[in-house]
Amino acid sequence: MEEFLELRNIHKRFGDFVALKDVSLGVHKGELVCFLGPSGCGKTTLLRIIAGLEVQSAGTIVQAGRDISRLPPMDRDYGIVFQSYALFPNLQVAQNVAYGLVNRKTPRAQREARVKELLALVGMPDAGPKFPAQLSGGQQQRVAIARALATSPGLLLLDEPLSALDARVRVRLRGEIRSLQQRVGITTILVTHDQEEALSMADRIVVMKDGHIEQIGTPGEIYGRPATPFVADFVGKTNLLPATRSGADRVQVGEQRFECPVAAGLANGAALRLFFRPEDVTVRGVNGATPNSAAAVVEKVEFLGAYSRITFRLNGIDQPLTADLSLNDMAEFHPKPGDTLRVAVPPDRLRVFTA
Amino acid sequence: MKKGSGPFFVLQSVGGARRDRKMDLTPFSLSVHWSDRVAHALLVAAGLALVVFLLAPLGTILMKSAQDRAGDWIGLANFAEYFRAPALARSIWNSVWVSTLVTAVTIPLAFTFAYALTRSCMRFKTLLRNVALVPILAPSLLAAISFIFWFGNQGLLKVLLGGGQIYGAPGIVISLVFATFPHALMIVVTALSLTDARLYEAADALGTSAWRKFWTITVPGAKYGLLSAAMVVFTYAISDFGIPKVIGGNFNMLATDIFKLVIGQQDFSKGAVVGIILLLPVAVTYVADWWVQKRQSALLSARSVPYVPRRSPGFDWAMTAYCVAIALLLLAVLGMAVYASFIKLWPYNFSMSLDHYRMGLVEAGIFGAYVNSVTLGFWCATLGAAFIFGVAYLLEKTRGLHTWRSFMRLMAVLPMGVPGMVLGLGYIFFFVEASNPLHFIYGTMAILVVNTIVHYYTSSHLTAVTALKQIDNEFEYVSASLKVPFWRTFFRVTVPVCLPSMLDVSRYLFVNAMTTVSAVVFLYSPKTTLASVAIVNLDEAGDIGAAAAMATLIVATSACVCIVYYFLQVWLDKRTQRWRQ
Repeated sequence: MEEFLELRNIHKRFGDFVALKDVSLGVHKGELVCFLGPSGCGKTTLLRIIAGLEVQSAGTIVQAGRDISRLPPMDRDYGIVFQSYALFPNLQVAQNVAYGLVNRKTPRAQREARVKELLALVGMPDAGPKFPAQLSGGQQQRVAIARALATSPGLLLLDEPLSALDARVRVRLRGEIRSLQQRVGITTILVTHDQEEALSMADRIVVMKDGHIEQIGTPGEIYGRPATPFVADFVGKTNLLPATRSGADRVQVGEQRFECPVAAGLANGAALRLFFRPEDVTVRGVNGATPNSAAAVVEKVEFLGAYSRITFRLNGIDQPLTADLSLNDMAEFHPKPGDTLRVAVPPDRLRVFTA
Repeated sequence: MKKGSGPFFVLQSVGGARRDRKMDLTPFSLSVHWSDRVAHALLVAAGLALVVFLLAPLGTILMKSAQDRAGDWIGLANFAEYFRAPALARSIWNSVWVSTLVTAVTIPLAFTFAYALTRSCMRFKTLLRNVALVPILAPSLLAAISFIFWFGNQGLLKVLLGGGQIYGAPGIVISLVFATFPHALMIVVTALSLTDARLYEAADALGTSAWRKFWTITVPGAKYGLLSAAMVVFTYAISDFGIPKVIGGNFNMLATDIFKLVIGQQDFSKGAVVGIILLLPVAVTYVADWWVQKRQSALLSARSVPYVPRRSPGFDWAMTAYCVAIALLLLAVLGMAVYASFIKLWPYNFSMSLDHYRMGLVEAGIFGAYVNSVTLGFWCATLGAAFIFGVAYLLEKTRGLHTWRSFMRLMAVLPMGVPGMVLGLGYIFFFVEASNPLHFIYGTMAILVVNTIVHYYTSSHLTAVTALKQIDNEFEYVSASLKVPFWRTFFRVTVPVCLPSMLDVSRYLFVNAMTTVSAVVFLYSPKTTLASVAIVNLDEAGDIGAAAAMATLIVATSACVCIVYYFLQVWLDKRTQRWRQ
C-alpha cells in the first residue's frame, strides 16, 4: 500500500547529542498517528522535522509521492497546532482563521463562508468577532485547529495540543478532535506524552524512546502485546519481574514458577523478564488447581475510585507486585494489609521478554 | 501587557538578550524559500550598515593611532610619546580616580533610595521615583552649570566652601553623581524588585532577624544588580565630556583631552591614541558587566512571588526623610539652572527676565541649534526606532545565515562598550576622507542622526529583543505553514503587539538625541549645531546665563516629549485593551 507520508531512515544530531537514530515510518492516508514517549525521546523533534522547522541530519521524507526532505516549511503542505495555541492576539478569531486564506487571494465572500464553516466545524459558530484573550484555553485550541484546517492542508500536525489544558477540558477536547479528524478525514500526527490521550485518540501509536521507535501498533496492540519491556512499562501500569526459562512453557521467578508461552530458541536458564498487568490478576474462583496461582500477602490497599490497587508479595519474590481489583472483588474478598489471599494470573496474560 | 508603575520617561529593560541554542552541525540543509531570501538580503544590508557606521569608524581610530600627522605608518610611536608626556598620562589617573569616587558615592546613595522604593511603605513613592529620575532628561552639562551657580566664583553658597573651589575635581565628582544617580537607581530598583518574597517568608518562619535577612537575602539577591550599576556609573563617569569641560577648570581627564587634541590642536593621531586608552577601561567594564549579567540570568527563577513590604513606622519615616532629602537636592540642582536662566544679570541684578532666551539665544542666532536638536531627536525616534526594531525582528524571528546573525548580534551590543567621544572621533576620521564614497554626509544632519542611533543602539536593541522574545516563535511557524510570508506577519501581528516597546525605544532615542554631547561634538557643522553642543560653546564664551537657558529648553522639551509619549501609551493601551488581558 502506498503510504501518504513516509519517513525513511531519519537521523538527527544536535552536536554530540543524537536526537533521532534511523527512524522509519509510514503513515496511511486519513489515519491519526500518535508519537508517544517520555520527554526527550525525540517525538517533538520528529514532528518538527516533518514540518521543516528542524532539519534532519540524514534521511528522506516523502509526502503524497513528493520528496519534501529539503523543502522549506512554506513549500510543504501541512497545518500545525502548538501547545501554546499561538493565536495572533491582536486579531479576532475570524481573522485568525482567515489568516492563511487572505494570502491565497480567496475572494472575500468565499473566505467568509469558509471561516463560518470552520468555526461551525469546531463548534464555535459565534466566536468570530472575539479576540483570543476572551476565550478559554480549550476554545483557543479549537480556533487554532480551525486556522490550521482553513487552507485544506493534506496533513495536520498537532504538537501536544492538549497539554496546556486542565484535565476535564482535555478529556472532552480529545474526543472532539478525534471525531473532527475522522469527519474531515485528514491525515494527522499527534505528539503527546500522555498515554491515555494516545490510546483514546490514535489509529496507530508510535512509541519512542531515546530517539528510536520501540513499537508501532494499534492502541490494542500497544497495550495488550507490548513489544518491549519499555513499552510495557510506559503504557499502562505493569508488573515486570526478572525471570529465567525453566522449560518449554515455564519460567522461574524467585521460587515461583509460571506457566506461559515462551519464545522458541531459548535455552533453559536464559535470562528473561516476565510481564503482566495489575488488572490481569484474578482472585475470584482461584484455588490450588488454578494455573499460575499462589498465596499472596497483602501489603497495601489503595482506593482509586472504580477499582482498588492491592500491593502484595509472593513467597520467594523480593519485588512487591500490584493487582487491580474491581469494587465487586473488593466487596467479596475485602483484603486488608496482612491478609493472605490466593491470586492467579492466566497464562495467556503473561508475556515474556528476553532480558 | 501592563506597563506597571514604572517611570514614564526611561527605558526599562536592558539585558536578557541571550539565547542558548544547541549548535546543529549538520551539513544537510533545506533549500531556501524566496521569502527567506528577502530576509537574508535585508539582514545583509542592515549588517553592512552596521559595519560601515560602527566597525569601520572604530577601525579607522586604530589605524590613525599608528600614523603620524602626514599619514605614514609609525607603529606604536604615538603611544610611546603619549606616555612620555606627564600631563597627558596624569589624565588617565584623574579619569580613573574620579570615576571610582563617583561610583563609590553614587551606588550607596542609589541603593538606599532603591531600598526605600522597594522595601518600605513610604509615601509618595511614584512622585519621589520620578523626581529621582529627572536628571535623565537633562544633558549632563546642566549639573555642572547649576553647581557653578551654587558654588562657583559668583555662586550663592560659595561661602560654604571656605577657601575651596568648586572648579576641578570636586565639581566634576558632584555633577557626575547627579547625572549618574538615576541610571544606578533604575538598575538597583530592578535588582531589588526581583527578589522572591517566598525567601523572606521562609526566613520569617525560621525566626530570622531583619539584619540577618538583609545580609543573607537582600544583598546577595541584589549583588549582580549592584555590580552592574557600579559599572554603568563608572563607564558614564569616565566617558562623560560635558561635565569636565564646563566645571573641570584645569583638571584634565581623558574625554577632555581628546577634545583638546582633536579640536584644539588638530592632532588626530594623538587624539586617536587617547581614544584607544579611553576605550580600554570601558571595554574592561563592559566585558565584566556582560559576565555579571550572564551570572544573573542563571540565578533568576522563572516564577517568583513579588515582595510586598509591610508597615514599620520608624523605618518608613526614616526612608521618607532620606528620599525627600535626596529629591530636594536633585531639584535644587535642576531648579538652579532653570532659575538662573531667568535672572537678568547674575550676580548683580536678580530680577527676572527672558533676556537669556531672547538675546542670548534667539537674537544671537543660536536658537537654530535648538531646532536642530529637535530635528535630530525626531529622526532618531522615527527612523532609528524603526531600523533597530526591524533588525531585531530579522535577527530573532527569521531563519538561516547563522554566522552572519551571530556577527550582527555582536555588533548590536558593541556600541554600549564604546564611549561617545571615541565613536565621534571614529566618525570624523572615517567620513572626513574625501575618498570615502560616503564623505557627502559629513557635516550634514544625516551623520548626526546615524551617529546618535549607533551610539544608543545597544539599549534600544536589547529592549526590542526582550519584547520580541515575549512573542511565541510559533507565530512564524504557523505563518509559514499557512504560506504567509514573514513580512505580512511582521506588520499584521508583531508590530501591533510590540508597539509599546517600540514607543519606549523611540522615546529613549529622542531624549538621548536631545541631551547627548559627547559623540556629536566632533560632527556638527555651523549649519547643524545642536542645543547641547551650543551649551558647551556658550559656556566657553562665558555666557553661562544663555547656557542655562539652553539647558532649560532641553529639559523642558525632553519632559514634554515624555509626556506626549506617556499619553500615546495611554491611548494605545485603551485602543488595544480589547485584545490584551
